[in-house]
Amino acid sequence: MTLGLFLLLALAVIHLGIGARFVGPQTVITALLSYDPTNFDHKIVVDLRLLRLLSAIVCGAALGVAGALLQSVTRNPLGEPHILGLNAGAALAVVLATATGSSWLAEPLGRPLIAAVGAAALFGVVLGLASAGKNGLTPMKATLFGVAFSAFASSLTAAILILDEQTLDDLRIWLAGDLAGLTYLALVNAAYVVSAGCAVALVLAPYLNVLALGDAVAKGLGVNVMAVRAASLLAAALFCGAAVSIAGPIAFIGLVVPHMVRRLVSDDLRLLFPLSAIGGGVLLLAADIAARTIVAPQELATGLLTALAGAPVFIFIAARRFR
Amino acid sequence: MMRLMEKHGYRILSCGRVSLLLRPYTAILCCVLAAAVLAIAIGALPAGSYHIPLPDVLKTLLHPQTATNDQRYIVWDIRLPRILMAVLSGAMLGLSGAAMQSITRNGLADPGLIGVKEGAGVMVLSLIVFFPTVGVAWRPVVGMAGGLAVALLVVAIARDMARVRFILIGIGVSWFFSAAISLFMTTANIRDVQTALVWLTGSLHASVWPLVLVATLWSLVGSAILYTTARASDVALLGDQTACGLGVRLKILSFARFAGPVLLTSASVSCVGNLGFVGLIAPHMARFAIGGNQVALLTSSALMGAGLVLIADSVGRLAFAPLQIPAGIVMAVLGVPFFLMLLWRRRHRL
Repeated sequence: MTLGLFLLLALAVIHLGIGARFVGPQTVITALLSYDPTNFDHKIVVDLRLLRLLSAIVCGAALGVAGALLQSVTRNPLGEPHILGLNAGAALAVVLATATGSSWLAEPLGRPLIAAVGAAALFGVVLGLASAGKNGLTPMKATLFGVAFSAFASSLTAAILILDEQTLDDLRIWLAGDLAGLTYLALVNAAYVVSAGCAVALVLAPYLNVLALGDAVAKGLGVNVMAVRAASLLAAALFCGAAVSIAGPIAFIGLVVPHMVRRLVSDDLRLLFPLSAIGGGVLLLAADIAARTIVAPQELATGLLTALAGAPVFIFIAARRFR
Repeated sequence: MMRLMEKHGYRILSCGRVSLLLRPYTAILCCVLAAAVLAIAIGALPAGSYHIPLPDVLKTLLHPQTATNDQRYIVWDIRLPRILMAVLSGAMLGLSGAAMQSITRNGLADPGLIGVKEGAGVMVLSLIVFFPTVGVAWRPVVGMAGGLAVALLVVAIARDMARVRFILIGIGVSWFFSAAISLFMTTANIRDVQTALVWLTGSLHASVWPLVLVATLWSLVGSAILYTTARASDVALLGDQTACGLGVRLKILSFARFAGPVLLTSASVSCVGNLGFVGLIAPHMARFAIGGNQVALLTSSALMGAGLVLIADSVGRLAFAPLQIPAGIVMAVLGVPFFLMLLWRRRHRL
């Protein structure tokens, strides 16, 4: 965990340093520790770049924990907000709210919560349909239903955006999964939601550990399986809502990170959740640094890079773990 | 043997050395289907932002000289190519879905679902961006190369095409290539991107006569491949050993039956862009409504596909006029529930 935090810090300093004007690591650290408003470099780091850094960390952490949560609840190695339809549901909810001019969007916690409701609704349907049938909730069914609903929600989103020019204008950049153009208010709101989700996840971790032994064993050990499932669904939806409300739908962070942590450290969920949070932050920072440097001075959307890197992982896991 | 066939409604139609096994019942149903597609097409012609009454449309079609300039332009240069393109691309996608589902023995298989569309898309996009001067006729050729490469990649990773895993891996591959497409779109020159966007959204409004001709050519090639191998693949359904014993060259057959659909899908994608789910839905509808052997299945599936795309395009064109929704989006909204229904029917097996 110390190593993870160290890596996160190092990447954060690099992240703050690069850009149209390069700022050396030492200057970045002094800017953070003793801010001098007259120094131009300090102003760049703190006023312009810090927000993006913090959003990337919050967003990555939320997605990492959401992935770990979904993988353990659905017992699906491909559990991930994007694959199981949570991201698309959240995006659809936000687009719908914007198109109908809902007054809730103006509330302080409105956007993350609306996104969370959308994610929860779509994922609830996916879970319900996937649990039907003789074999119960199988990874294959969860994944295929998730993918299908994801496609459905995103085509509806596309249709709404075509029909409603105003909404398209408001949300165009956000929908590409980009970390540019944020505000502190949105970040703080999302951070509240993420911390609520984190609390739920940490409380749930021991129960989910037991649940990993199978439904019957968990029931025998006194765990209320349905309640734990419902609470983790809620937590996952909160995470996705927050992440989507900051950066739009960003794919595959939640898929890669828990697998890496499980392989490198442990699959005890009490450790896995915090480590996935750190790992998600690290990975999204790395992706964001890459997005800003590969074709500099131009910038790529961060979500695109994570999709490019994550899709092969998806294929690899699908080929290895599914029959 | 003859009696058995006649009992099941088959008749032999022979002309010199060529003979055809035909079931009048299916043939009639196919004709009904074709008539329905024709009726939808004619019904779609008068509607639009410039309404032309049906008698005038027919007059313009049959005697172009007598119509006014406006009417001739709208009917012949805007609406007719668009409708023909919808019919052609739908038929191509329907054919490819039917053939793919029978060769993989996988009811969820559709070349469009496993990344062929995106593979073709990447290649066509690079053609548009890097060689903007090359004519539209080359797009299908390049797209086919890309689609075939991606399809072979998916088969190489998944190995067994009859399993549902095949679809899952195909979806992963298509995600990868669609991210690559978006990468292209965000970094390339804005003027190239605009050309590409028109093509990419799966909208049929950019259809012009040269493109229709290209699509016709490739749909003829593709359907020739599929129809000549139709009888052999009927036999192949009896199992590999029986088919071998009856003289079917399995390797050539399965390659032709695999490449044909991929080529057809890539060609249609190269002409009209991203049109999903047609190849998945049309064969199931065809099997449900008509059924029968490969030739009947191919024909009815092509007709169903044509009808589906025509309806999707007309809905997208007219439902929210003056705004137009690309047919690809309408198709996805219609198609996903269908995909869900197919999954639901398999819920005990997955």
